[in-house]
Amino acid sequence: MQKIKGDAELDDFGRFSEPALLILVSLAGEPRHGYSMTEDIAALAGVRLGPGTLYGAIARLEARGLIEPLKSEDRRNPYRLTALGERALRVRLNSMMAVARAGQRRLANA
Amino acid sequence: MTWLLHLYPARWRQRYGEEFRAVLANQRNTPGLFFDVLAGAVDAHLHPQIQPSDSTHIQEGDTMTVAMLRRCAFGGPKLSPADRRVAWRVTIGSALVIAALEIGLAKIYRGATPVQALIYWSAPALSLIYEQTAYLRKRPARTQALILGGGLVGMYVFMLAVCAVAAKL
Repeated sequence: MQKIKGDAELDDFGRFSEPALLILVSLAGEPRHGYSMTEDIAALAGVRLGPGTLYGAIARLEARGLIEPLKSEDRRNPYRLTALGERALRVRLNSMMAVARAGQRRLANA
Repeated sequence: MTWLLHLYPARWRQRYGEEFRAVLANQRNTPGLFFDVLAGAVDAHLHPQIQPSDSTHIQEGDTMTVAMLRRCAFGGPKLSPADRRVAWRVTIGSALVIAALEIGLAKIYRGATPVQALIYWSAPALSLIYEQTAYLRKRPARTQALILGGGLVGMYVFMLAVCAVAAKL
């Protein structure tokens, strides 16, 4: 399977690849700041990211241009998905859906 | 637990410190949170994501040296095959140039102290060239020139001083 740039970048995140994916999903709906992302991800996936993990993933996503900060007047800086981030998220979700469909098909035939 | 923020690199704190503090303020203090923040600090030193500005070359060199040392201390350096290939090519090219220079100078100035120093300098210099080319490849050209050039000149001056002292004994 050929991977496009955005997908390969998520793979390169090591232990931060799952938090990074959850952050991208969280920002897909609307821009959010750190605490809002933590709450959204906890409600969405049942996982509460610690601040060390959260900002490790945010720094990687921002450095690779997948998310960007918005101007804010208070200390809680909101982030939004960039076009590249949206593309990377679509590719990753499509890939996960293909794996999920294949798994379900095999389980049905088992 | 906000005191743990001091374990993060200064540049990281400048960029994320305030918002990190805001998130931390909403968390319950648990051992899990402590280790998460601690692991985040180690990661921020080992894998700095924030590119330094051009005006801080000396600080940048210091940070890179610390990051390289810590990287080696935590399970060895992580070099990509492309980084290694480039480093080997530059090292082999440098070895050929240095060898030609040494042979040429040795023929003209046989036994001269600066030539002796150059011969002794070449082995550690090639090692430095390999290391620095591999690790500094993605850094700005001025940073590479500053660290590599400074290292090579410093080593040569040291070798020259040693050879000069040895010649007088």
